[in-house]
Amino acid sequence: MEAGTALIGLFSREDEKARCASLEEAVRIMNIPKSKATVLCRTIIEAHSACLGAQWRKLMTTNFKKVALAALIASTALVAPAFAEDIILMDGVEPRQENNSVVEAGAFQTEGPWKIAMSHFGVNANTWTVQTAHEAQGVADGDDRITDFIMLDANFDQAKQVADIEDLIAQDPDVLIVMPVTGTSADAGIEAAVAAGIPVIVHTGRTETQAFTVEIQGGAENFGRVMGDFLVDQLGGTGNIWVLRGLPSHPEDINRYAGLVQSLEGTDITITQEEHGNWVYDEGKRVCETFYLNDPNVDGIWSSGADMTRACVDVLKQFGADIPPLTGEGNNGYFGQWIEEGFPSISAEYSPAQAAAGVRAAVALLEGQELNKHYIYEPAGWDVAKAGEYYRDDLTANVWWPTELPEETLQELYGQ
Amino acid sequence: MTATLKNILTGKNSRQGLWILPLIIVVIGFVSLSVSTEDFATSQNLSNLLKQAMPLIIVAIGQMIVILLGGMDLSVGSMISLTTALLAIDAPAVVTIPLVVVAAVMVGFINGFSVVRLNVHPIIATLSMQFIVLGVAKLIRPVAGGSVPEFLVQWVNGTIFGVSTVFLLTPIVILIGWKLIHGSRYGLHLFAIGGGAAEGQEDAAHNFGISDRRNIIVAYICSALFAALAGAFLAGRIASGDPNVGTIFALDSVTAVAIGGTQLSGGIGGLHGTLIGALLMALLSNGMNLANLSAFLQGSIKGGILLLVVALQSRKKMGL
Repeated sequence: MEAGTALIGLFSREDEKARCASLEEAVRIMNIPKSKATVLCRTIIEAHSACLGAQWRKLMTTNFKKVALAALIASTALVAPAFAEDIILMDGVEPRQENNSVVEAGAFQTEGPWKIAMSHFGVNANTWTVQTAHEAQGVADGDDRITDFIMLDANFDQAKQVADIEDLIAQDPDVLIVMPVTGTSADAGIEAAVAAGIPVIVHTGRTETQAFTVEIQGGAENFGRVMGDFLVDQLGGTGNIWVLRGLPSHPEDINRYAGLVQSLEGTDITITQEEHGNWVYDEGKRVCETFYLNDPNVDGIWSSGADMTRACVDVLKQFGADIPPLTGEGNNGYFGQWIEEGFPSISAEYSPAQAAAGVRAAVALLEGQELNKHYIYEPAGWDVAKAGEYYRDDLTANVWWPTELPEETLQELYGQ
Repeated sequence: MTATLKNILTGKNSRQGLWILPLIIVVIGFVSLSVSTEDFATSQNLSNLLKQAMPLIIVAIGQMIVILLGGMDLSVGSMISLTTALLAIDAPAVVTIPLVVVAAVMVGFINGFSVVRLNVHPIIATLSMQFIVLGVAKLIRPVAGGSVPEFLVQWVNGTIFGVSTVFLLTPIVILIGWKLIHGSRYGLHLFAIGGGAAEGQEDAAHNFGISDRRNIIVAYICSALFAALAGAFLAGRIASGDPNVGTIFALDSVTAVAIGGTQLSGGIGGLHGTLIGALLMALLSNGMNLANLSAFLQGSIKGGILLLVVALQSRKKMGL
């Protein structure tokens, strides 16, 4: 297949899978780093979807357009800002386009065996956080060069994270991975580690300091916006919604909510009831019961987490009410419910495998590979068809998708 | 000599509690970690250990004052959080520090007043205060952030003449606590009031002319002030305000005091025991971190050791 033909596939194919295959092929033939091609193609696809539609697709069949598009991508590849060579940390994780920089190849290259240290913000808060710990451990266990993988649990305690990082630095690891409890809890530790020559990888939470070596940040605002946009679309821009939030004061909750607010700007959608369900089923159920008893009239439900969504569906069924459009995320239990009930919903993606990506970034640094300083993780929402591809009825409700855990581990931890 | 040693080891008839047992555990833990973990006995780690223990040492001294009376202060955690939140507001230190002191005195006074004047059980009174203070802290600072006075950060994390400031601060705090509990008339009154309360004779000290009500209110004020000091230290550690940072200290401070041999019923205890208790808790966390024990296991091991130590120190075993 020619590069041009492959690229045309990006625009002529209807489904995302086929588009991805075309992109892969074009990237392979033209030898363009995937990160650059992905960004460019996304821009073109958005433009294509927004204004040109079928007319554009027709034009694309001409040889002229094929060549022009190939040239456009090739030239972009040459003139785009400097990015690190393509390293796939995780599906959906890409270098940030603005204000990025490169960690030079070989900057932290070290021969194995390696000692990798990790400060986890809180392992036992819910099933998602537990899985992040398993995802990170899984990658570390699968690499013989990592002989010491030390993970400490801050238990969502800012002071404990400060102490944990001190203890980890005292053990002189080759890399320190940090999942910050708050925007400031790890700052002093990160700066101390970097000053001691230890590279630091930050993920699943922002820090005020920029001293880290590499960061991978899932966009909480994007998460909230994906859900908010879905409700705006489903409700036609007008109606009353309930909002179930996560843990009070938690930065992830605040930023997801900010994404919702962005979506609702300029619409006639009103939040009639709002409360924190702490991202857990029990509390979500209590909140939804209260909402329903206060005022059962609701056109849509924005839930910041899948366990709360499941709880709300159960409450509405219990009262014999119709289930309005509502939002969820990649949890196996929720997927099963969604597929079975068929209610209108969307699943925002926030994979626990980000913790695996953190370990993978650490390995890349120690191998001497070139990395970007900033990576983002802002995937699109999933529909029920995609949820169906992942759902496993032989596993419990506690698995979160997508996961990188091997089948053996999945069965061991979540097998029914 | 043998009888004295036996009494120390068993805590028999000791008003200072069975502090020798946790001390032995601390020494064994210290030696075994020094031998088994190459990173433990380094100056960097010992400095880390003291920094990590320091907030608990401070708040536990205040907690011990209240427990000696037969009371308990569950609002110390929220007071710590409120302190960090107040220190991180956008105002100069000359404003925020007096604000913290005033807040602590108010919180302590209301706790004490509720207990002695309104006859509310100490646990209920201070639990209610915990929620009130936490709410105020979250109103002031809903999310962790902001910045605390720079001198505080330097003071907590810095050095003087090459020595970590924490090594200088620790003896000062201990001296204040020692003077208050073991070196003053007020300290004697604490033991007298607590001893009576433990025997079910709350007015025993009062009958001997000791102003129990005033002393109890002062004890709660002291507890809140020590909590505020611990909060200031923590604010320097995290360099920001956090409405949740103190939560864990409410029960941790009670645990450290109990491990150190102070009886929760009052009248028996010693500052050295409390220091050992706080040090043991910090040592457990630090040691398990360095020994690379699974995050899933650490909590269970800590709980098991605490249960064992406290179970061996009942008032009955001491013959009091």
